[in-house]
Amino acid sequence: MIQKKICMLGGFAVGKTSLVRRFVTNVFSDQYRTTIGVTVERKSLVVDDHDVTLMLWDLYGEDEFQRLRESYLRGSSGYIIVMDGTRQSTLDGALALQQTAARTLGPVPFIAIINKADVRAEWEIDDRSINQLRERGWTVLFGSAKLGQGVDELFTLLATQMLKASPPSGVPS
Amino acid sequence: MKEKKRNPSQSDVSLFQDIVLHLDIVVLEREAATGTFRLHGIPPAWWHQFADTADATTVDLSRCSPFLQEYVAAWLHMGSSELSIVEKSGPWTESDGQGGTMTLEAGTLSIGSRQLLFIERMGSGFEQMHTIVQRARERVLAEEVAVKSHRQVETHLLTQLEASEQTKDDLLALLQHLHLAALVLNEQGIITFASHRGLELLGIEASHVIGLTWESVLHVREDDRAMIHEMIRKSLDGERTRVVHIEQPRPIWIELEIHRDPDSPSRRILVLHDRTELHALRQALNEQTSFHDLVGKSSVMLRTYQLVRDVARVDTTVLIEGETGTGKELIARAIHCSSERQRKPFIAANCAGLTDSILTSQLFGHKRGAFTGAVSDQQGLFEAADGGTLFLDEIGDIPQHVQTALLRVLQEKEITRLGEAKPRKVNVRVVAATHHNLSEDVVRGTFRADLLYRIRIARISLPPLRERREDIPLLAQSFLGQISTATGKSIDRLSSSTLHLLMSYVWPGNVRELKSAIEFAVISCKGKDIIPDDLPPEITDASAPSRSPVWVPLAGGDEKSRLLAALSDAKGNRTEAARRLGVSRATFYRRLVELNIQSR
Repeated sequence: MIQKKICMLGGFAVGKTSLVRRFVTNVFSDQYRTTIGVTVERKSLVVDDHDVTLMLWDLYGEDEFQRLRESYLRGSSGYIIVMDGTRQSTLDGALALQQTAARTLGPVPFIAIINKADVRAEWEIDDRSINQLRERGWTVLFGSAKLGQGVDELFTLLATQMLKASPPSGVPS
Repeated sequence: MKEKKRNPSQSDVSLFQDIVLHLDIVVLEREAATGTFRLHGIPPAWWHQFADTADATTVDLSRCSPFLQEYVAAWLHMGSSELSIVEKSGPWTESDGQGGTMTLEAGTLSIGSRQLLFIERMGSGFEQMHTIVQRARERVLAEEVAVKSHRQVETHLLTQLEASEQTKDDLLALLQHLHLAALVLNEQGIITFASHRGLELLGIEASHVIGLTWESVLHVREDDRAMIHEMIRKSLDGERTRVVHIEQPRPIWIELEIHRDPDSPSRRILVLHDRTELHALRQALNEQTSFHDLVGKSSVMLRTYQLVRDVARVDTTVLIEGETGTGKELIARAIHCSSERQRKPFIAANCAGLTDSILTSQLFGHKRGAFTGAVSDQQGLFEAADGGTLFLDEIGDIPQHVQTALLRVLQEKEITRLGEAKPRKVNVRVVAATHHNLSEDVVRGTFRADLLYRIRIARISLPPLRERREDIPLLAQSFLGQISTATGKSIDRLSSSTLHLLMSYVWPGNVRELKSAIEFAVISCKGKDIIPDDLPPEITDASAPSRSPVWVPLAGGDEKSRLLAALSDAKGNRTEAARRLGVSRATFYRRLVELNIQSR
C-alpha cells in the first residue's frame, strides 16, 4: 500500500475542508465552520493500477490569527493550493503560501484549484490573473465543492503526478 | 549541592494520578528499549476512543493519528540537547467515536533520560477561542461582501456616469452639428447652458449668458416678455411658439419654442430659430402687397399704387373716382404722404349734404359778423391746409355757387373769406373724389365743365372690391389682425368656409363693408378661428342658393325697376329692400335719390 501525504493550503474560507469532505465522504455543508488546527483524513484510490492511500492534511486557513507552521508541511508528497474565485485576496495569499511550500518541500507536485465555480459570475479572479498563474507553471483547475465539480479530478491528478514524481519501487519513473 | 533523590511514596503516586485525571490529560513515557510508550496513571475516558488501548498500559503510536506520529517522530529526531525545548504540537482533530470530533494537543517533556509525552483534550478555553476566530472571520467575510457590493455599485455608477457624460457629449455635438440654438433654464429662470449656435445667434459670449436670467440676456418688448414668462410658466412643450424681436446686442427676429426638460420638469429648454431673414422677406412682401394704408396685390391695385406714386411726384389737382367704400380717402392720403407736401397738413372735407353757405364758410372761412352766428374770424379749410393737401370728398355734390368759388381758388390760388373783400394767397393741393360720373353731371348741367377739367388734370379710378376679389383674403386677414389687436382677442385666422363666403359675396359697400363684416365677426367669434356663423347675416344669407349671389348695379331704367321691385317686395321697408338687393342701406338710399325714386 502506498501512502502519500497531501497538504491543503489556502486562505481562510476558501473551501479546503469542503473539498476534502466532498472527496472523502461526498458531503457538503453550506454552513461555514472555520478550521483551527489540523484534521487528517484518509482516502484510498487506485492510481495507475496502484492502491494509494492519500493522507489529506486539512490545514487551517492562514490569516492574522493563525500562521502556517512549516513543520506541518514536512513529509508531504504534494500539496493543493485552494483559492476562492469570488475573492481576489485569496489569490495573493496563494502566491505567498506556494512560495513557503516550495521552500519547505522543494519541487514536489502541486495543483491550484479555484473553488466556487458554481458562482462563476461573481468571480473577482479574472482570466488574466489565471493566465499569469499558468505562465508561472501552475496547474490551475476550476471546481466547486458545493456541486462536486472537479473534486475527484483534482485529487486523482495530484496523486498521479505524485506517483510519477516519486514512483513506488519497481516502477520506472 | 547535590540533590537528594527520594522514592515516591504511595500518597505521591495517588496525588499524581488525581492530578492527571483532573487535568484531562494523558501522560505517556517512552520505553527507550522498545520504543513503545507506557501509560502513566488512569487515562480519561476519551483516550480509549483515540488509542484503542482499553486495558493495556503500553501504547503503540503507529496505530494513532498520523499527526501525532509525525509530531513524536520530529521530537525524537532532535538531538538530546533539544529535547527539553520541543514546542507543543498545536491542535489537531480526531473522531470522538460518537459521530463527533475532539480536538487534542500534544506536548513533550524530557526529565533526565525519561521522555514524557502529554496529550491534552482541548476544553472550553479552546472552544471560546474557536468561537472568537469564527466570528472574526465571518465578519471579515461579511465586510468583503459589503466592500464588493459597494465596489459593484461604484462601478455601476461610474459606468452610468460615463454613459451619461458620453450622452451629454453626443448631444452637445449633435446640437453643434445641427446648428441648433438652445438655452437651458433652471427653475429660477437662470441660464445654465447655451449652445454655440445660440451664442452666435444672440451675438454674445458664454460668460455673458451663463448664470444670468433669460430676461437680462433676451432684450425683448414688454408684451413679448410677459408672453415668454407665461410660456415658461405653462410650458406646453413646444406647442406654442412666438416670434419676438431681440433688440440687443444685435437686432434679430427669433421664433421661440419652449420645452420642458424631460429629466427635470422644472427646467426649460428654449429653442431659438432665426427668423430675421424671413421677417425681412415678409416685410418686403408686405410692401408689395400694400401701399401706405391700402391693401391689395391685384394687378389693378398694383397699377393704382404706381399711379399714386406718379401723381405724387407732380403738384396737380387729382380726381379720384370710385364707388363708396373703395378707399378714395386712403388714396388721397397716400398721394399726400408720397408727395413733397407730406410734412404739411392733410385736411379732408366731405362736401355732401352741406348747404351753400355752410360749405362756403367751411372751405374759405369767414369774417366776424359775416352772417348770423359768425361771432369771430374763422379761417377756412383752404387756409388750414396751406402748404399741404385738401381732400374734397363727394365733390359732385357741391352746389353750383361753391363750384364757381372753388374754380376761382384753383385758378388764382387765393381765397376770400366770407365778409372780406381782400383775397388771401393759399398754396394748397386739391385732391377731389366722387362716386358720381361727373361727365354725365356736366351733360345734365349739375356740374361745371370748366371745374371738371380743372380738377381732373390727374385721375385715378378705384375698382370696386367685386372686381378685385383676389385681394379679399389679404384685406380680410389685414383687418383681422388690426381688429384682434384692438379688441384684445386672440383670433388667428378665418376658416376656409368663411373665406369662401367672403370671396363669393358681392360687397356693395366695398372694402369699408368688408372691414365692418370682419369687425362684426371678431366681436361674435368665440374661438380661435372665424367661422361662417360669426359673419353678419347679409353675407351668410347671400350665400343661399335661391338668392342671386352678385348684385351688379344696372344703369338707368333697369336699375330703377329693380329698386322699385325690391321696395315693393319689402312692402316699402328700405332696410329690407337694401338687404334683398345685397347692398348697404346707405347705397340703397343714395341710389333712390340719384334715380329720383320717391319712397315713404
